[in-house]
Amino acid sequence: MPVYEGVHAHPDGDSTVARFAATAAEYGLDGVVVRNHSDATADYDRARIAEEYGVDMVDAIEIRADNPDVASGHVGNYRPKQTILALHGGTNALNRFAVESDRVDVLAHPMRERGDFNHVLAKAAVEHGVRVEFDLARVLRNDGGPRVQALQDLRKLRELVEKYDAPYVVSANPRSHLQLRAPRELAAVGEAIGFSTDQIRQGLEEWAVLAERNRERMSDEFIAPGVKRGRYEEEP
Amino acid sequence: MKHLPKHLRPRWRYIAVGLEAWPDADFDRRDFQRSVWFAAQNLLGDAGSADADLKVLQFEFGDGTGEAIVRARHGHAQQARAALACVDEIRNDPVGLRVRGISGTVRACEEKYLGADGQIHDERKVVFGDDQRSAVERDGLLDVRTDSTFAGATELDFE
Repeated sequence: MPVYEGVHAHPDGDSTVARFAATAAEYGLDGVVVRNHSDATADYDRARIAEEYGVDMVDAIEIRADNPDVASGHVGNYRPKQTILALHGGTNALNRFAVESDRVDVLAHPMRERGDFNHVLAKAAVEHGVRVEFDLARVLRNDGGPRVQALQDLRKLRELVEKYDAPYVVSANPRSHLQLRAPRELAAVGEAIGFSTDQIRQGLEEWAVLAERNRERMSDEFIAPGVKRGRYEEEP
Repeated sequence: MKHLPKHLRPRWRYIAVGLEAWPDADFDRRDFQRSVWFAAQNLLGDAGSADADLKVLQFEFGDGTGEAIVRARHGHAQQARAALACVDEIRNDPVGLRVRGISGTVRACEEKYLGADGQIHDERKVVFGDDQRSAVERDGLLDVRTDSTFAGATELDFE
């Protein structure tokens, strides 16, 4: 299975989409999900970059809103345009909104800032197929107290995700190509903090699964899940 | 003291590391060694860090790219990899870091993973975000000087 990483590219981050693609190709990633925040979207030529570096680029958005009402408006707005739709978590109200909407693909960093996660949200995430993100950013780039906090949060989230078998993605949340890390390195870090190598890998693969599913859904041939155009479609 | 007989000496793994930073980054082997020790101690703790026994053997860095060989105890390569992944900055310069490969001897490590490219650097002017800026170019990758720092780009962004 191909492994993908979700990144914040210029102007949301410091490096352009093309630079992320170049570094990702070197690091052995198969694809890059450009999950810029909704107020700083990137402009790039998907086909050209894919051709030059051999890396699959996935259009995505990370919706950042103050409250569920605003977020809901953004979801309706961006869903038809973007392949993957993530929601910037971090407050209880937004986390709850995300895991309860079918139209949201990924709940990004639910434990950041004042956000929290519990069994109710885990069950909702399973029911609505919302991927919960394990955000390794603070583990990779912080130390001391904030990192201890991040590790505690990840552990809590991991226990809930394992218990309810909730879908999840893993990301280092890089904001420049220097913050990108190769899949094996992320797996090694994961192992050091209590994940299994397979878990990390599966979390990275989940981005690819999502991209493939949503691209199929957005294509013209798609009718509804499980419905295919058959042989008898044409009128005699 | 008399050195240990061969079968009692510790066995090592040699990790080839590729480094990348902004063009103005300036650090040497000692800075890198400090960062590696810090990262290992912070992630693995004193005990884990002592077990992995990370040591920078070779180090070469200039103009934003570099490579190094880090030695780790046999059986602790995975922990070493994890610690290296957590090296986020060296003396306040952000770095990108990747394990290129792991070998059983320094020589194999050098031959297989190091010294791949002698890149030529070039300064040039580009238009980035509606502004004229100078950029450092190497191999089709450009680091554009912005107001206080750099932005990463490639040739494709200026077509």
